[in-house]
Amino acid sequence: MGRNAKRFYPHYFTYPAILIFSVFFVVPILAGFILSFTDWNINRLFEPVFVGLANFEHLLGDEYFMLALKNTFLFGVITTVLIVAFGLALALALKKLVFGKSFFRTLYYLPAVLSLIVVGIMFTSVFRMNNGILNKLLIAIGLENLAIDWLGNPATALYSVMAVHIWKWSGFAMAIFLAGLHGIPEEYYEAARIDGAGLLSQFKNITFPLLAPAFTVVVTLNTIGGLKVFEQIYVMTGGGPGNTTQVLGTYIYKGFSMGMLGRSTAMGLILFFIVSIIAVVLNWFLRRREVSE
Amino acid sequence: MRGKHQKRLFSIRVLWTVLITAMSLTVIVPMLVMILGSFKNPAEAQQFSLALPTEWHFDNYTHVIENGGIARAFINSTIITVAVTGLVLLFGCMCAFIVSRRTNRYTKGVYLLFLMGMISPIQIITTFGLLRILNLMGTFFGVIMIITALQMPWTIFVLTGFIKTVPRELDEAAIIDGAKPLTVFFKIIWPLLRPILATAMVSTAMGAWNEFMVPLYFFNTSSRWTMPLTVYNFFGQYASNWNYVFADLMLTALPIAILYLLCQKYVVSGMTAGAVKG
Repeated sequence: MGRNAKRFYPHYFTYPAILIFSVFFVVPILAGFILSFTDWNINRLFEPVFVGLANFEHLLGDEYFMLALKNTFLFGVITTVLIVAFGLALALALKKLVFGKSFFRTLYYLPAVLSLIVVGIMFTSVFRMNNGILNKLLIAIGLENLAIDWLGNPATALYSVMAVHIWKWSGFAMAIFLAGLHGIPEEYYEAARIDGAGLLSQFKNITFPLLAPAFTVVVTLNTIGGLKVFEQIYVMTGGGPGNTTQVLGTYIYKGFSMGMLGRSTAMGLILFFIVSIIAVVLNWFLRRREVSE
Repeated sequence: MRGKHQKRLFSIRVLWTVLITAMSLTVIVPMLVMILGSFKNPAEAQQFSLALPTEWHFDNYTHVIENGGIARAFINSTIITVAVTGLVLLFGCMCAFIVSRRTNRYTKGVYLLFLMGMISPIQIITTFGLLRILNLMGTFFGVIMIITALQMPWTIFVLTGFIKTVPRELDEAAIIDGAKPLTVFFKIIWPLLRPILATAMVSTAMGAWNEFMVPLYFFNTSSRWTMPLTVYNFFGQYASNWNYVFADLMLTALPIAILYLLCQKYVVSGMTAGAVKG
């Protein structure tokens, strides 16, 4: 079979995929390692000059970049934690449902397939100061004080966009957790019940450990997705008010539209390292938990 | 004792059902405001309420189609989506076939390369530079290639996992009969992969249709704009006419929502299978 493997599973079958992926994805990443250290800009597109660490030094001194960095982390951490919480709660609840299970699953998953732009604009209407459905609801239940301009207020804008992100992806987490839950044999629970284990102890000793692989996937994917956030911020706040909701994704675009390509590339390189390192460490850590339990 | 336990279980179920139903309102209500608003007159749409329109303005949709550049955008999005889906499925599947059938340093390297692609964000500015050098800036070809590259890793992962479950004996029988590699691939493997290819097709198509960042950076002329770009621009212009904005959102969301509802089985099962295995 050794010779046959070479003949019938030829390496050249992989070449088209690798060619497209390498040229249009890998090459730009590699180029980023060089161009981050140049003064590359839109007016001298083909004559970048080496400037050492100047771009990085500038970024460290740029308060809005530092804010964007902080917001990116906040966005990644907070949305991931809440998506995991909502996704898990929904999956556990859905599994217990007697009827309407597939209806609710379909409904909760729906936001995950909608375009970020559609979702973002739709929620711009929800968060409006005047007549927005959220404020109407708050006023109706007597919380007039909370009826504020959610996206126009620096204190709430970023969290409002996070809420939309959580709204969009909780159903996806739910679906992965549900698949995990269905893989746990019902006998385990029966045995636990016979032993007199309560619901909480069943969750702690059966559900949670056996859900570990699904947990790894949900946490890793959502952390990556949260750190890469761009569209929702771009559409809902444009990084404002007053740059308070900038994240790396939008700040890179801002640098790009001002023609500062080298500096934006440097930000892209920083984002590359942040996402890669966090994803790899997180995945390694969570998988270790899977094995040991 | 047993009765008490059953009773407690029952009340817990009731609790979950109430919770699920209540939470589903957060999904339904914003969508309902959009759906209803798309049929209202401007003043009523501005109320963002759940009331039915006093008069159903189906003409909001015709207005948006005539004035919003939707027809052009729909064609552009379709071209990109079809091309990306075709390329990703064909080349991704061929690649996954080899990666799952042969284990050597090369195929392990290929697997790692695409694993990196699932994690790493796109280096968008140097991609812009690349398109300028290749003279592909603002072209369909450039945008199609970039979205194809972005969609490739996930597809390869899901397909690799699936092809491993297809017995090798099937290809071997064909090989003994003297079939060529491409024949084995297209005649034996490809038909067996239909369910997973459907999954990969639906999710790739959704990803390509919904893609916003790539066309935003690389299409500077409105004649090339895709549906999400057009709706974003329309929103900027018509911010005070929410009836039109909602109708435009509906037109952008509907193709994907319909595809989702029709192919739901493939969407959810495939996404989760791929995710849990990968």
